[in-house]
Amino acid sequence: MFRGRRKISDFSAEIEAHLQLEIDRLQEQGLSAEEARTAARRAFGNVTRAQERFYEQRYWGGWDHLLQDIRFGLRMLRKSPGFSAVAILTLAVGIGANTAIFSVVNSVLLRPLPYPDADRLAIIWSGLGNANRAPASNFEVFQIRQRTKEFDQVGGIWVTNGALPGDGDVEQVKVASVTANFLPLLCPKPELGRFFAPEDEPNAPNAQRPIIISHGVWVRRFGGDPGIIDRVVRFGPRSAVVIGVMPQNFRLIFPGGSSIATNVDVFYSTRIDASDPLGPAYLRLIGRLRPGSNIATAQAEADSIATQITSFDGNSGISNFRLYIYSLQAEDVRDVRGTLLFLFGGVAFVLLIGCANVANLLMARATQRLRETTVRVALGASRARLVSQLLTESLLLAFLGAVVALGIGWAAVRAILAVRPPSLANLGEVHLDLRVLAFTFAVAILTSALFGLAPMITVGRLDLLQSLKEATRPTGWTGRKWNSALVSAEVALGFVLLLGTGLLMRTFVNVLRVDPGFRAENVSTFQLPPPSYEMLRQLQQNLMAFPGVESVSAVSHIPLDDTANWYDYYWKEGTPTELRSTTYADHRSILPGYFGTIGATLLHGRDFTEADDAAHEHVIIIDDLLARELWPDGDAIGKKLNITDSPSGPYQFQRDWAVVVGVVRHIQCHSLTAIVRPQIYVPFQLAPRPMAIVVRTAGTVSGLTNSARKQVALLNKNMPVSRVAPLSDYVARARSESRFASLLAMSLSSVALLLACIGIYGVLSYSVAQRTSEIGIRMAIGAGRSDVMRMVLADGFASVLLGLTVGFLLSLVLTPLVAGLLFGVKPGDPENYAMILVVVLLVSALASFLPARRAMRIDPLMALRHE
Amino acid sequence: MSTRESKERLELLQGTLDLLILRTLILGAHHGQGIARTIQQTSEDELLVEHGALYPALQRLEERGWISAKWGTSANNRRARFYSLTTAGRKQLVKETTKWKRLATAITRILGAELEET
Repeated sequence: MFRGRRKISDFSAEIEAHLQLEIDRLQEQGLSAEEARTAARRAFGNVTRAQERFYEQRYWGGWDHLLQDIRFGLRMLRKSPGFSAVAILTLAVGIGANTAIFSVVNSVLLRPLPYPDADRLAIIWSGLGNANRAPASNFEVFQIRQRTKEFDQVGGIWVTNGALPGDGDVEQVKVASVTANFLPLLCPKPELGRFFAPEDEPNAPNAQRPIIISHGVWVRRFGGDPGIIDRVVRFGPRSAVVIGVMPQNFRLIFPGGSSIATNVDVFYSTRIDASDPLGPAYLRLIGRLRPGSNIATAQAEADSIATQITSFDGNSGISNFRLYIYSLQAEDVRDVRGTLLFLFGGVAFVLLIGCANVANLLMARATQRLRETTVRVALGASRARLVSQLLTESLLLAFLGAVVALGIGWAAVRAILAVRPPSLANLGEVHLDLRVLAFTFAVAILTSALFGLAPMITVGRLDLLQSLKEATRPTGWTGRKWNSALVSAEVALGFVLLLGTGLLMRTFVNVLRVDPGFRAENVSTFQLPPPSYEMLRQLQQNLMAFPGVESVSAVSHIPLDDTANWYDYYWKEGTPTELRSTTYADHRSILPGYFGTIGATLLHGRDFTEADDAAHEHVIIIDDLLARELWPDGDAIGKKLNITDSPSGPYQFQRDWAVVVGVVRHIQCHSLTAIVRPQIYVPFQLAPRPMAIVVRTAGTVSGLTNSARKQVALLNKNMPVSRVAPLSDYVARARSESRFASLLAMSLSSVALLLACIGIYGVLSYSVAQRTSEIGIRMAIGAGRSDVMRMVLADGFASVLLGLTVGFLLSLVLTPLVAGLLFGVKPGDPENYAMILVVVLLVSALASFLPARRAMRIDPLMALRHE
Repeated sequence: MSTRESKERLELLQGTLDLLILRTLILGAHHGQGIARTIQQTSEDELLVEHGALYPALQRLEERGWISAKWGTSANNRRARFYSLTTAGRKQLVKETTKWKRLATAITRILGAELEET
């Protein structure tokens, strides 16, 4: 146990007691009171001295020395504000940026998902042909549930747009169809009511549905009514009974590209109808592993289940069916992992550079203060006392740096949140992580302490007389070697970071330059639940009449939007049965004029017309990817493809033969950089579904949105309009990840460059100051000003070149790691190397020039008298 | 500041005070004045213990955990800080005593030999 330190008063009391006891004894021996007192005091010796010694013994923990050191340290910091500011800011930027980025990394990559048994949750993708992160069909879910021993639960979800339940304004919200066991997988219990039971699965298509609503809808639409449970409410064209309310903080955290919105407002139960092996695949599956199971064993089991499903019905056309099991957490961060790790590495580099800088500054300063130190040693200061004082000063710097770092870190987290891509937005709140702050703070303190004390090692060996004589010119000191080594390290780290940044920036530029296959400017969009064909045509005509509108059309999937994708397999005539289900294409339902409206290019053939309905021969338009793949000779027009459509109503899928009447240039619809799948366009009359209206205008047209809402209400007052947004928003969002990465990398690199610049400048200035008299002598014996300048520059560039060499070698190992983040540029891109090399050399030249000029201007006479 | 009386006594060797304090405390808890008196009496007034020097030593021993202290009442009803030996202190005493005896023997041997030569 820790014993509390004695107070000086306690000690004095003890001495007083001692004297009293001695007086008592002496009086017993017959001395008078006065004599006894004198004798006792004499025997005791010097009371004050004893107290002093007691006081000094406690010196290490003594507040007085600490306070004294802090006061002295603060005075020293105030005395050289430039040094203090640079050191504190350097530390603050290093600690602050590091904390901010790590806070993001932590909340995205490391913190477990907010679900019960999150580490046992896995996502189950199915794969068929060229689709390998595909949803599963009812049939497949049924088969997996029947056969699995590794999962104790397998639940599925499908999200689409639907009507907001309850009375009031019609509004379109995200609506999910889930298996009864899905919600309990991700949520311990509802806020109110209950989850679905198997008997909630609908038996008839038009039966009154039980629904579970989000906390948001409950508050917004039903005023937080506690009696909401079992209430019958309007839900689109039908009515539904509310059986539960989800907790307020419930979110669906799914991998990007899985078309599962974070906030779903209505859940209803879906029925697993296992009868049709070729039924639509739409369910995203989440499985909970049994305790003791792991991803690898689950994958092995899934492989065998996939084989069994393939062989289940030889005539079903299912071949090469596969199942992929990934941990939900890993899959959720798959897209952002690379970016975040790059940033994390970058921040570590900045912290290292910052530490190197502070080390340099402290060492330089300690050397300057060698005389002061020497005098103090000569006057009898103990080494321990000097160390404690230097340490206090370093810690003071680190502490002030950390305080400023808090501010910088807070601002940086704000800034990161402001520019974060949607893939990060999924992952909820990001807070400044105090543990990380503590960690980086500790690193900074360690650096400061280490390098603040480095000179002490030499002080111990100092020949006092020699040092006093030499004053500020400690020739034997090895500090300069250390300093140039640190500069080399800074340059090496900065060079590598800049190389990475250069690559990311070029990637971003390439992303900006990508032709997505359409022109997004001046196109407005909004979305509707499945409309009738007549209404759609009427709306098209009515909107056309609005001044400034050039063309109006509709599409089921806006390019680069994340609504639930529609894709299915296709085959051309003469394809053997077992190969029929191996290749997938995205299917889109469109109105005539769609390609013209969004500025896509129809390469061959014709657009759809009003006559392309179910009564006539089914027709499709395909993109050039598909045309080239199937008919490389370029004669796609007039050929037949077996595709999926739904002429009898939304989602009433059937397979049909359709004739290719047009070929359109591929439109990027999942990302700007990756070509995911070819596209098949089906006339709306053959595939009615929820649609997005696209309106091209001449320039910006105000009031279009309101007018569109009015037009829709005029045609059908119950039809909600949702997601009103310009098409360019979708493109901007698709660019946001690359923008995010390059923006952050750029700010990190600027900081690194600035710090390295300060480092080079500081070391050279210091070295010039140190060598003032040497330079004076050189000039006195005939060295020209240019010689002096060359000497200083050579000094600086020696360490820069060494740093560049090390950086180059380092980059050979490190840059390939960012390959996954790049588009249109290779990690080893020579242009990038050349550009960054020039930047580093320019900055180094700038940083070296000022000290070199100062050296050049040294007056030899002054310099010699400088001693 | 030394008196005539004290000049006749032996100055304590560096480091021996700690040993003597520990040795004194093996008889039981004692306050500072008692310890000083005991050392003086046991050495038959040969050793000079400056009472003031005793306290930093007591403080040092206490911090090392060899002795512990608490306030109590003396035989003649005075408040005093009583020191007693801890287990660690007991071990230290054995160690130091052995060391001291070896040192004393060695020194005596050398000094004795020298005397014979002259």
